[in-house]
Amino acid sequence: MNTPWTCLSAMPGVAWPAVPAFDQTYALALLFQFERTQWLPAAELRRRADAQLEALLGFAYDTVPYYRQAWGRRPVPAQLAELPLLARSDLQSHSPELFSHDPARGHGAMHEVRTSGSVGAPVLVMKSALQGILWRALTLRDHRWHRRDMARALAVIRRGAGSGTAANWGSATEGVVQTGPLAVHDVDRDADELLDWLKPHRPGYLLTYPSLAAELARRSLERGERLAGLLQVRTLGESLDEETRALCRDAWGVGIADVYSSEEVGYIALQCPEHEHYHVQAESLLVEILNERGEACRPGETGKMVVTDLHNFAMPLVRYDIGDYAEVGEPCPCGRGLPVLKRIAGRVRNMLVTPQGRRLWPTLGLRKQTEVPKVRQYQFVQKALDLIEARMVVSEPLTPKEEEFLRQRICSRLPEGIRVVFSYLPAIPRGAGGKYEEFLSEVALR
Amino acid sequence: MRPEKDDGFATWRLLSALPGVVFPALPARDAAEALAVLDQLAASQWLPAEALREKQHLQLERVLAHAYETVPYYRARWGRPADVSRFAELPLLGKEDLRGRFEDLGSRAVPADHGAVHASSTSGSTGVPVRVQKTAFVDRLWNAFTLRDHLWHGRDLREKLFVVRNRTPGLAQAPERAQNWGPATAALCATGEALLLGTETELGALLGRIAEERPGYLLAYPLVVAELARLSLAKGERLQGLREVRTYGERLDPEVRELCRRAWGAKLTDHYSTVELGYLALQCPEHEHYHVQAEGVLLEVLDDAGKPCAPGVPGRVVVTSLHNFAMPLIRYELGDFAELGEPCPCGRGLPVLKRINGRTHATLVTRGGERYWPYFGWVGILDVAPLLQHQFIQKRYDLIEAHIVTAGRLPAEQEEALRRHLLERLPAGMRVELVYRERIEVPPGGKLQQFFSEVA
Repeated sequence: MNTPWTCLSAMPGVAWPAVPAFDQTYALALLFQFERTQWLPAAELRRRADAQLEALLGFAYDTVPYYRQAWGRRPVPAQLAELPLLARSDLQSHSPELFSHDPARGHGAMHEVRTSGSVGAPVLVMKSALQGILWRALTLRDHRWHRRDMARALAVIRRGAGSGTAANWGSATEGVVQTGPLAVHDVDRDADELLDWLKPHRPGYLLTYPSLAAELARRSLERGERLAGLLQVRTLGESLDEETRALCRDAWGVGIADVYSSEEVGYIALQCPEHEHYHVQAESLLVEILNERGEACRPGETGKMVVTDLHNFAMPLVRYDIGDYAEVGEPCPCGRGLPVLKRIAGRVRNMLVTPQGRRLWPTLGLRKQTEVPKVRQYQFVQKALDLIEARMVVSEPLTPKEEEFLRQRICSRLPEGIRVVFSYLPAIPRGAGGKYEEFLSEVALR
Repeated sequence: MRPEKDDGFATWRLLSALPGVVFPALPARDAAEALAVLDQLAASQWLPAEALREKQHLQLERVLAHAYETVPYYRARWGRPADVSRFAELPLLGKEDLRGRFEDLGSRAVPADHGAVHASSTSGSTGVPVRVQKTAFVDRLWNAFTLRDHLWHGRDLREKLFVVRNRTPGLAQAPERAQNWGPATAALCATGEALLLGTETELGALLGRIAEERPGYLLAYPLVVAELARLSLAKGERLQGLREVRTYGERLDPEVRELCRRAWGAKLTDHYSTVELGYLALQCPEHEHYHVQAEGVLLEVLDDAGKPCAPGVPGRVVVTSLHNFAMPLIRYELGDFAELGEPCPCGRGLPVLKRINGRTHATLVTRGGERYWPYFGWVGILDVAPLLQHQFIQKRYDLIEAHIVTAGRLPAEQEEALRRHLLERLPAGMRVELVYRERIEVPPGGKLQQFFSEVA
């Protein structure tokens, strides 16, 4: 059973059951469906998504100049795999041709979203209010999946979030569900300051980037303090590793619920309520994981992620190469028919290219606590096929012996023939979007 | 078990009102509202009884305030504003009040957002009509509870629904056909066909029609169901494809459930509703008793002194509509008797109605003032004597007249056996007299009661 929600009513004289305002009513109407569609068998879910895809493909061909030209025919869902991929660079260079010249009526006001552009130029995506309704419903699903106690405080630490408090968790719950208070803070402080800021708010939930959660947990452990009342850490925006989960458990005795989303298409996958892998939000988008030959990957295989937003009729994104890689999972034992992503491997820029030309995601993470307490922060950057720069932020200089220990430690996890050079920095800045990346390859992007 | 997994939703072909969007559905506003309410009902049903009462009181507070502020009848009758703590002291509202003070019971300030105000009326099982005003919002909530009933019983909405009920006289005998099950689903999802046939249809023809149409669901009064099942059994014909029989509108004799199982292998699901208030109770998905629809109605069972009855003790049903802001019905005495039950093992916190004993006039009253709701059985009684129609009437404290329609006069031993069958099911000290009739008229409303009392 879910923790009961107190829904908010906009109908005069009616408190219970609540009748919220129009858009919020839609969010609950969608949530009602999501509570049930999640249990549909995978094939049935796909059949229903295909019905939506058919509407989208027809609309895109009829009203979007780019697709009309690129496709040459009005495709049906069975032909999806034959359609060309839409690259990020296409979005940058063909943006106006990707707008529908006859946007669907009733989808609400259109607005532009400019992605933060972690690398290269930002891209522009046009959305309608409908995307906001779906986003709200999926946020509510995430709360329900993880049985959150809505009466508790939520603390959010994100880039560009500013700093302040509010009576409600935010726009997903506002006008729909009564919640505890919200406290937000930008990422522009160090872990100590953020911990000091967090404590008096006594958050039940902390929403932030995995790297920041890890930093805060590490600092909590060092200070020997817990965050009283914390029930769960919610993460987004970066790939989440096992070490961060372990740190949050050690420091605060709580688990992490991760979400995988993008500015272009919103939620892509939410962590399963019962497992650490992810469920594709198949009611909202189609996700394909493709191997190097462009074929669908099987469970256990990692490939390029290609997404189709089923409801963006302002600027349809069909087979958009979002630049991430993921591993396909087996059907989930939880019984949900939503496709499983075992692992979100990361972005292209996080791939190591070996001197032999292979591509892989290195796991170079250091157990700082035990191995190198002096290292406060680090980042590895592949500068050439055979060269990695290890950027270090240290509390005091490393001895040659420590440096050598680290070098061996790193090299043991790399293919042969790659050299490591150390550089020391006062801090490692977060990239655009507030994200921190442990490994960056300047080679992979070339 | 996860109820959402088996609630039949997979068979809902939702209608989307937004161009280009078919899945997930974004239905028209009112239908979306129904889903939003259903989502809340899906959670509230599991609230512990105490938490449920708290929520209910939140809404009760509002309807009480609205009633006092905008309804002349309550303003005059209560004398001062009422709140939840004083609720049990508020006077009861009788059917005669509803008839006699109709104008005064209307709100002078119905919130515009509640939609158009309209009147609904019923012939009433006693033949005296009752009329009430409602808002469009009240109707929409009724729809949401209909959908809850579908979900609770895991109905396949793609199936055909066959409805037998009283119809406006003069309509053709051919069934009315509709492409949708009715107002609860019309704007929300495509369903199987619905067929409507009047109770005045001759039984054999009715059964033939149902067999021909092969409905998945049959919705009718218990008595009609009992008659159809008896006929099916007599003919040795089953109704192919029938999944469930749904009944309403009359007291349900437990024997009818067994009849449906025997005749058609179908389960029977009953519900308790009135024109004045909509759904009062729906049958539990897992048991044969009922759950009060506490999100829409506050239902009390009171003894003669006006005190709440303990579970298992029959009392008068008094109901308060939580959302009718056009004509708030506060502590309205329905004229029914019912028994509350212990909390349900299904885990729902919604109050349990163990038994709906019946209408006041269907209550057998002894000289000492004790009340009984006798069951005479629909099938067993036919093993005693070949009755075409029957009705038992309490004429005096100690006298029951058994009105019977037969092919010819019964042999003396059958007459005697019939008397004995009845006496065994009546309190001590009663007499039974047989009265042969040509035909027993079915009253308007289509409900022929097996038993009623002229004494009560």
